[in-house]
Amino acid sequence: MWSFSKLTDLIHAWLYETFSPAWALALEMVMVGVAAIGLFAMLGLVLVIMERKVSAYMQIRLGPNRVGPKGMLQSLADTLKLLVKEGMTPNGVDRVLFNLAPLVAMIAAMLLLAPIAFAKDFQIWDLNIGVLYITAISSLNVIAILMAGWSSNNKYSLLGAMRSGAQIVSYELSAGLSILTIVVLSGSLQISDIVTSQSNGWWIFKGHIPAIIAFVIFLIAATAETNRAPFDMAEAESELTGGFHTEYSGMKFALFFLAEYINVFVVCAVGATLFLGGWMPLHIGSLDWFNHAMDYIPSSIWFFGKTFFLIFVMMWFRWTFPRLRIDQLLTLEWKYLLPIGMVNILLVTVIAILKWHF
Amino acid sequence: MMNGETIVFYLLAALTLVSALMAVTSRQIFRAAICLLLSLLGIAGIYFWLRYEFVAAVQIVVYAGGIAVLIIFSVFLTQRSGEDLPRQSRARMLSAAVAALTGLGLVMLQVLRHRFSGTTNPAIDNGVSAIGRRMLGVGEDGYALPFEVVSMLLLAAMIGCIVIAMRSKTKSS
Amino acid sequence: MFLKDYFNDIAQAVGSLLSGMRRTGYYFTHHKEIITEQYPDNRATLVLPERFRGEVVMPHNGQNEHRCTGCTACELACPNGTIKIVTKFELNAEGKRKKAVDAFVYHLELCTMCNLCIQACPTDAIKMAQSFEHSVYDRSQLTKILNKPESKLQEGVE
Repeated sequence: MWSFSKLTDLIHAWLYETFSPAWALALEMVMVGVAAIGLFAMLGLVLVIMERKVSAYMQIRLGPNRVGPKGMLQSLADTLKLLVKEGMTPNGVDRVLFNLAPLVAMIAAMLLLAPIAFAKDFQIWDLNIGVLYITAISSLNVIAILMAGWSSNNKYSLLGAMRSGAQIVSYELSAGLSILTIVVLSGSLQISDIVTSQSNGWWIFKGHIPAIIAFVIFLIAATAETNRAPFDMAEAESELTGGFHTEYSGMKFALFFLAEYINVFVVCAVGATLFLGGWMPLHIGSLDWFNHAMDYIPSSIWFFGKTFFLIFVMMWFRWTFPRLRIDQLLTLEWKYLLPIGMVNILLVTVIAILKWHF
Repeated sequence: MMNGETIVFYLLAALTLVSALMAVTSRQIFRAAICLLLSLLGIAGIYFWLRYEFVAAVQIVVYAGGIAVLIIFSVFLTQRSGEDLPRQSRARMLSAAVAALTGLGLVMLQVLRHRFSGTTNPAIDNGVSAIGRRMLGVGEDGYALPFEVVSMLLLAAMIGCIVIAMRSKTKSS
Repeated sequence: MFLKDYFNDIAQAVGSLLSGMRRTGYYFTHHKEIITEQYPDNRATLVLPERFRGEVVMPHNGQNEHRCTGCTACELACPNGTIKIVTKFELNAEGKRKKAVDAFVYHLELCTMCNLCIQACPTDAIKMAQSFEHSVYDRSQLTKILNKPESKLQEGVE
């Protein structure tokens, strides 16, 4: 299978030959940082235009179609507009926290990128608690929203922040439980272990019905955790005029916007890694000729294909379902998803102990 | 000799200490909560620096994601959370300082007494499965009993919450 | 049974969500359903719905004849004074003085396209046209006289 490890090893060796170890390490960090920021910018542009096009076609509209071929440069134009807009700080806000909040949102989103395996042997930091790390860092996201909501000194912002706090804190539970099912099946928290454990089939196929239930719960909880419709209580344009980012404009608003899309990408990447095998091509048991044929497709294409499929599903949710009321939202979590998730993890544990999975 | 690791350690330590100090001196309660959060994150960073990833992640999940959010929520729900807190009386500040300094003194005493020496023992396995085994182990270095006792405490707290919530409901109806 | 209701609820919810997703999925894959009109570009091929009402017009036939008798039924029916009919008396073939329309004044700027005048007209003299590009630089240009100059009442219309 084609792998990035040769390329990265080459760069690594060359850097350590030419520079002292400390400088080489620093240079590698800079390279990773630049690559991450570049990925962010690309993702922001691609996901925004994708969202607008998908939403348009689902609502029998055309969507942006004036800037560039078929409107594909629309998000670039929007970004330019946001860049040159004045970064307003309204009177009466808590200046420090108001300006800090978008940065915190962005940093939390950036930290999430570290353990994600983008292709075979292409990962920033393969730490041994990968999945737990993602769960932990994604809980920081709510802090940024709470900060923005409180420091804006605006009742809509505050209401949006409180709603999103209640929402994220409760949906983290079922997201965690559905992640745990895969951890139980694969027996490791490390992302690379989880991916290699799916070399003879993805967990959604190998784990029988409980894995599928866990996948559905994960999708719902991920949609809720990223504050997207039908769970966009934090923004809820028609009720809260934008929720926690009501007072934000220009680049600060753009950072929140970008952070939201990065979070969407990251949760979808995690979902693809856990349930759909990450960069692992579609393998069926010991059907060797089929597996070899699949290996010819590069692993990065598999990863991004699965991730963007999940992103598309989340957009499909967003443009189909109406927004839930806050009590319906909490009922869904505490009365449906959480009990089902708990029974489900019990079933998965039994399956894992008795080795009933393939 | 300052190498990269020492610099990172001092940065994390400075973040932890400065934000902890700001958390107690700030007179805006929300800012104090955010500073407390930063301080807790600094501690998590130190765990990462020590390569105790599991403990670091748990620190973030429990303290930053759980307790800090809970504190911020209760700040939101209190009235006049945007105003400055009243200045504390001198006696209170003094007693708090004495308590804090006593704690610091006790810790420093232990640290200074201990003779740090290099060891050739293999590093402790801090993998998740090793932690899990020890947490639920009943052998010599198992923590099953304290683990269960702590969960009993949590159960008691949960039952207490339910009892409080139930009582207010029957009264109002 | 509690559990039965619980799972019934879930099954129903999933079913209704899936039917919604099937609808949007259908629209996503069938681009010919798109209803967006790219207006200034497709001006030549623009198709307006049948019932769209743009302005009141008075059709004239080839001999410059209209069907308006000047009865002012439309003027009375109009809720906001859009129509003002100026009448004159002229002698008909038998030498009788007869009321006829001199100027059918129509204030487009006041019209709400409510269609009441068309319904009130006993002789079907006026109808709604579909033109909608009404913008002009001066408000006075919106006041129109609908009967053409030198036009006459069509034969046989009472």
